[in-house]
Amino acid sequence: MSRILEKYLDHVMVYADRDERDSAEIRAELKDHLLKKTADLESEGLSHEDAVFEAIEDHGRPKTVGYGLRKRRWIDVRTQGTARGFVAIGPRAVGTFAIGGLAVGVFSFGIAAIGVVSFSVVGIALLYCYGMTLAIAPAGLATGTAAVGLMAAGHWPCGLVAVGPHALGPYVQYPHASHMPGQAPYAIAYAYALMHEYLMLWGGRAAPHALHKLIFGIVMAVGSALCWRAFRSDQRRIGYTLLRF
Amino acid sequence: MTRIRKQTLDGKIETLILAVLEDGPSYGYAIVKQLNRRCDGILKLGEGTVYPVLHRLEEKQMISSKWQTAENGRPRKYYRLNRKGHRAFAENLRQWRMLASVMEKVVGSCASILPKPQLKGGII
Repeated sequence: MSRILEKYLDHVMVYADRDERDSAEIRAELKDHLLKKTADLESEGLSHEDAVFEAIEDHGRPKTVGYGLRKRRWIDVRTQGTARGFVAIGPRAVGTFAIGGLAVGVFSFGIAAIGVVSFSVVGIALLYCYGMTLAIAPAGLATGTAAVGLMAAGHWPCGLVAVGPHALGPYVQYPHASHMPGQAPYAIAYAYALMHEYLMLWGGRAAPHALHKLIFGIVMAVGSALCWRAFRSDQRRIGYTLLRF
Repeated sequence: MTRIRKQTLDGKIETLILAVLEDGPSYGYAIVKQLNRRCDGILKLGEGTVYPVLHRLEEKQMISSKWQTAENGRPRKYYRLNRKGHRAFAENLRQWRMLASVMEKVVGSCASILPKPQLKGGII
């Protein structure tokens, strides 16, 4: 059998991520399909090389076919490739709860996170985003060192309602102001700004400051490791799955 | 030129495959060939996309599979419709006919606004 076909099947099976028995069966089935197609094309007059190429092209991208063959899971944990599941944990994670280097989900936690609610170093979220460095929440509250959102709180916040030492926007509030704003959005944003300030910017007392540094360090270390994995080739599977759906 | 969009087909491929298996047991490559032949070039299936659907149908116990040795000596997986599959296909067919009839009644009279379609196959 052509090495190109074998390589194609290897790629499909990486994305399919099935157990050994399933994997062998699926591989045999796809192999039969590709060999039969190649033989048919050769009998139509194509050279072996062209026939193999066309058979693979007609079969579809390994990623598309492989993901189609992947079993749906409640929890998918892997150290390489993209984790997909209700709860997904991995270098790249896609799920309702996504945790990873790059996380995409309703609730996402990661170095870079995109979702409805996200906690990250750099994050974009619809309703609430906490980003250690940058947070963007177009329709909600963004808190971070730099925060952009409908309501934004942080060191450099920018938004309709912005709370922070360098706030930018039509309604701004500076944390050191003596009075507490009356409107609810102000109050919420102000509360977050105070919390943020306390933990991140000045950290008044030693304990929370040190704790914050420790948490930040752990998150950065784990996140960097996951990011490194995410950007490495995901052709080889060394991932594992805790629970199957 | 008219192309069948993927969204239009969502959920329908299962019915198409059940329709092919209604004629008798078959295997992946033959199912794809049969589908492409019956679609008359309007729809060209990405061949690998058929297998996830076959496996899903098998999980739902609408079809069952059996490994047999093919004429070339290679192992080949044959699929056949079982009772649940027959029932599902009949129901899907009934639903489809009702939908087609409603669509025709409601939007059929508007067909004159469209230029005469020139059908072209699209890979999904």
